Amino acid sequence: MASYILRRFIGSVVVMWAVATLVFFMLRLVPGDPIAAMLADAGGPEEMEAMHRRLGLDRALVVQYGIWFWNMLQGDLGSSIYGSRIPVTQIIVEAIPRTLSLSLLAFVIAMVIAVPAGILSATRRNTLTDNTVSFFAFLGLSMPDFWLAILLIIVFAANLQWLPAIGYTPIDEGLWEWFRHLILPAIAIGTAFSAIIARMIRSSLLEVLSSDYMRTARSKGLTPWMLMWGHALPNAMIPVITVMGIAFALLISGAVVVENVFAIKGLGRVLIEGILNRDYPVVQGAVLVVSAIFVFSNLLVDLLYGVIDPRIRLH
Amino acid sequence: MTDISTPHDTAAPPKRRSRLMSTLAADRKAQAGLAVLVLFLLAGIFAPLLAQFDPNEMTLDMMGGLSWQHPLGTDDLGRDLLSRILYGTRVSLFIGFATVALALVIGVTLGLVAGYFGGWVDMVIMRYIDLQWAFPNFIIAVYLVAVFGTGLLNVIVAISLAFVDDFARIARSMTLTLREEQYIDAARVLGFSKARTLLIHVMPNAVAPIIVQATVSVSYAILGEASLSFLGLGVDANTPTWGLILADGRGFITRAWWLGVFPGLAIMLVVLSINFIGDWLRDALDVRQQV
Amino acid sequence: MTTEDPKLRKRLRALWDEAHDFDPKDPLFGLTAKEMSGPKLSRRATLRLLAASGALTTAHLMPGGLAGPAQAAGAAGGTLTCGWAGVAEIVTLDPAKIDQVLQFQVTSNVLSGLMHIDSSLVAQGDLAESWTVSDDGLEYTFKLREGVTFHNGDPFTADDVLYTYERSSNPEISIHAGNLKNVASLEKLGDYEVKFTLKAPQASFLAKTLERASGRAMTIVSKRAIEEMGEANYGLMPVGTGPFKITDHVLGQGVTLEKFADYYDPERPKLDKIVIKPIDGVEPIAAALEAGDIQYIGGNPIASQLIDRFKENPDLVVDIKPAPGFQSVWMNPWRDPMKVTDFDRPMDELMEDKGFKVRLALAKALDRDTYVQQAHFGYAVPGYGSINPAMAFYYDEGIADKSQQAFDPEGAQKLLADAGFPGGEGFPELELITTPAGKRNGLVLANIYKQVLGITVNVTPKEFSVGIEDFNKMEFDMRLGGSGGDYDPDDGIVDWMITDSKFNGRTRDKEKYPFGYFSNAEADALISEQSVTADLETRKEMVQTANQITSDRVACGFLYHPVDVQVRHSSVNFPAESRIPGLHDFDRVTLG
Repeated sequence: MASYILRRFIGSVVVMWAVATLVFFMLRLVPGDPIAAMLADAGGPEEMEAMHRRLGLDRALVVQYGIWFWNMLQGDLGSSIYGSRIPVTQIIVEAIPRTLSLSLLAFVIAMVIAVPAGILSATRRNTLTDNTVSFFAFLGLSMPDFWLAILLIIVFAANLQWLPAIGYTPIDEGLWEWFRHLILPAIAIGTAFSAIIARMIRSSLLEVLSSDYMRTARSKGLTPWMLMWGHALPNAMIPVITVMGIAFALLISGAVVVENVFAIKGLGRVLIEGILNRDYPVVQGAVLVVSAIFVFSNLLVDLLYGVIDPRIRLH
Repeated sequence: MTDISTPHDTAAPPKRRSRLMSTLAADRKAQAGLAVLVLFLLAGIFAPLLAQFDPNEMTLDMMGGLSWQHPLGTDDLGRDLLSRILYGTRVSLFIGFATVALALVIGVTLGLVAGYFGGWVDMVIMRYIDLQWAFPNFIIAVYLVAVFGTGLLNVIVAISLAFVDDFARIARSMTLTLREEQYIDAARVLGFSKARTLLIHVMPNAVAPIIVQATVSVSYAILGEASLSFLGLGVDANTPTWGLILADGRGFITRAWWLGVFPGLAIMLVVLSINFIGDWLRDALDVRQQV
Repeated sequence: MTTEDPKLRKRLRALWDEAHDFDPKDPLFGLTAKEMSGPKLSRRATLRLLAASGALTTAHLMPGGLAGPAQAAGAAGGTLTCGWAGVAEIVTLDPAKIDQVLQFQVTSNVLSGLMHIDSSLVAQGDLAESWTVSDDGLEYTFKLREGVTFHNGDPFTADDVLYTYERSSNPEISIHAGNLKNVASLEKLGDYEVKFTLKAPQASFLAKTLERASGRAMTIVSKRAIEEMGEANYGLMPVGTGPFKITDHVLGQGVTLEKFADYYDPERPKLDKIVIKPIDGVEPIAAALEAGDIQYIGGNPIASQLIDRFKENPDLVVDIKPAPGFQSVWMNPWRDPMKVTDFDRPMDELMEDKGFKVRLALAKALDRDTYVQQAHFGYAVPGYGSINPAMAFYYDEGIADKSQQAFDPEGAQKLLADAGFPGGEGFPELELITTPAGKRNGLVLANIYKQVLGITVNVTPKEFSVGIEDFNKMEFDMRLGGSGGDYDPDDGIVDWMITDSKFNGRTRDKEKYPFGYFSNAEADALISEQSVTADLETRKEMVQTANQITSDRVACGFLYHPVDVQVRHSSVNFPAESRIPGLHDFDRVTLG
């Protein structure tokens, strides 16, 4: 088991390295000179050269890569090319709690909707309730998250003016402020997610409910409530938990788009803005961190799956 | 995580077809989905006939409300919203189908080659697929558009490359399973070439899960294109696409709510109907849900 | 900025003439060394200096300068929350790195300079208590204000001026090092006395180089704070001697300013706290203002479609002034079909050139009224040259009729037909580069070309960083762009229209392209001469002639001049003396 974990861990690190390297070289094929933009009004060719030299952009690509890689191993991801050259590590450290807050809230909202909906439609299979839930699940899956975000802004921010249209307030400035800013984007991201989970809970629950094990439990005279919450649901959640890796990926890619609608500077916005501004170090840093999140959540899920289903370990 | 899903019936095509029809007859959602999709397809094809206005023709009737002349109102530049959405249908559906077709060809080829030949070929291909597998498709598409630049062709390439891993994985695992089946051995014994064996025997049996995956992918591709356009990473600024109409309308939605509502509704309807169809196919072809 | 009152007109004219009454070769511009010195420049000296540096506009001459009517003052204290429009984060507040107006709008409240302009654009001593200028105009000796402290408690002395100079003149650190090139040396004469020695007399030295906000080169920074905090963190929360201190700055979230109790003027600031939130997007900033989340809008220009909506709102105050700038359609003269490799030929010969015919057709086809209506909802002024209406005296009211570029659809169609593209047939599809925010304007333009000439122009929005590179290299078909902050004719014609101007294909391949987008010997000569011409009428004539040449010979298709809009909640008392164009100085602002 230990060697398996180690092997998988090394594999994950290699994937990250490959991605980082690919992105490093691919980005430099893209047209666009950030220095020219920065000095558009302020400097002449000499200033431009000085700036290129200072940022090391005048050196050979391979050398730039070597320097970047060496620094990265020491935890230094470089600095943004713009403004006061804020270290990328700092930008990312500031972005992570935002994306995490958002994903977490989206997750909670999704679960609050999905679990009862899944249970309802499984226990009342093929009734109007089941069909309604199923229809809304499809609707949630098919609704583009950014569109939902716009609709929420139209209704709750622009017209009713109950909630702020954009922005983020950290949790230490008050739980309510934090929540107020995040609720709309969290709903925008969480809707598709809750649809998936609800459908999954339904089918998983149906399988469990029809198993011999449940029949035995039922014959022991357990109440329906106990049957559901004590036996059926915990069992039904196992396959649901094992797809959390994919679910997490869904939340993060949702965040990439929705953070841009709500101007929340989480990882997604850092990434997209970095790409649009050709801020190489920022894009590289963001790609590395986002990759790490995906790769290691996949790894975690695989290991989790291994714990739940020991046969997997043999592979 | 294994993603093998074996079709239980390797039965002859006619039987499969009858099963398709019989499940369709019982599936209202799929019927509705098919109807809506066909409607949109027709709308896209006949957009030049149906649209009352040139989608890029501007007037000084800016942000005009819903009227007989402009059933869905006009946008911030006085362009007829209905005409723009009709033309947008072409782009969305074209991208949806083109990307999946491209991804299908590349992905299935890679998967078949990897699965059938095995060894180092398999290793190289699968290492790449694993690399891509670590990321959500949309993120990959974002990276690729950032590198290639925007534009119709680039967006199609980016989205389809992002889907390649899904098809490659399915095709490979099907091949691995089927390779062991007896009729392949028989084909080998009969002295058929490897290529012929692949094409004639392995492919058809791998088809069912791939059809389902392809159907679902079309909806993802349409969503992906809309998202890219919305972020400013999509097709060029002169082509009306649903995502772009929404992005451009963002600054005007309090004065013209229709700009924020109808394009999104179009996206949702198409994606919803494809999802209904995908669901039906999954049942009918007896393919278990992929994760 | 024209006025109908003949008496006022006459007085303004007298002031104007007086300000310009000097020999440009005289290093002191007709002022005595005493007049140029001061604890405060006299109005006469200031106007003269502005005139000499080419920065004087009639706006400065109006009673009260550019300020609006005075308002009742509110009580001191309270928190003002501002939205900074069109920006997602304020990436730097370090004067050495600042490259956007929306950034120095913030630092002008936090940092000090030796000088600061007031609402009449008169340079006042800020950290300079008084100063003297030598007779040759080369030596400026400053007596510094005593008892000033930095936000971190350090006293402000001559050493801080020296340190700022040293830091700002290093091109590796500062992007404004170029502004200090004319300084030969800076000496410390005492703890509160410094002397600048210039290489050549420079009229704009006080009002531009030493100015705390727009100058940025000599905005005083704290050495200890930079060393303790590091460059990057200092850039987020610079420590200075201004009326407010920064207590918090989170990228993408906002900046918090708090009253600095030890500010040298005990009367200021009035507010306790200012919160500045960057708000990207049109609807969000409107929603925030209407919901009362913010009470004031700063930062980038407000989207035109919001102006009417704000005007209708009784809770809001909207104040509109002409903005000094111009926007154009640039056409690459090195590319077919608008290729012109020599703009110096006589006009009738030029008119025979196929490429020129196309350029002129593209310029004549600009239906500017429709453009302004559709793209800016009426909030802009049609443009025919780089001299803008805010320059009042120099602005040629008749240029709309005189310019070859005046809108003339039939003429444009005929020219295009003569060039071999009747009805736009066979005309290649051109690419028009805009910024992502300028895409909508580009689409309006493309539509006008389609309607008038029957040609197809494809709008390609590119991030500013990408688009400006193409422009500098002369690798583009067409580009929509222009200038802001043009207070003097020099800003429009010297910066943009002479052959070696700073924008004219700066990084182009000079072998391949001998000049950038435009080069005309006659215009060059006029433009160079006007900037050293003292006589008002003569200069005006030269400026207008040069402007007309660039317009007639289609240096670009001139499109429009923007307007400057201030929007605030009616509870915000913004005193007239604080309404400095382009800035948002909150030190006198109260809430009522």
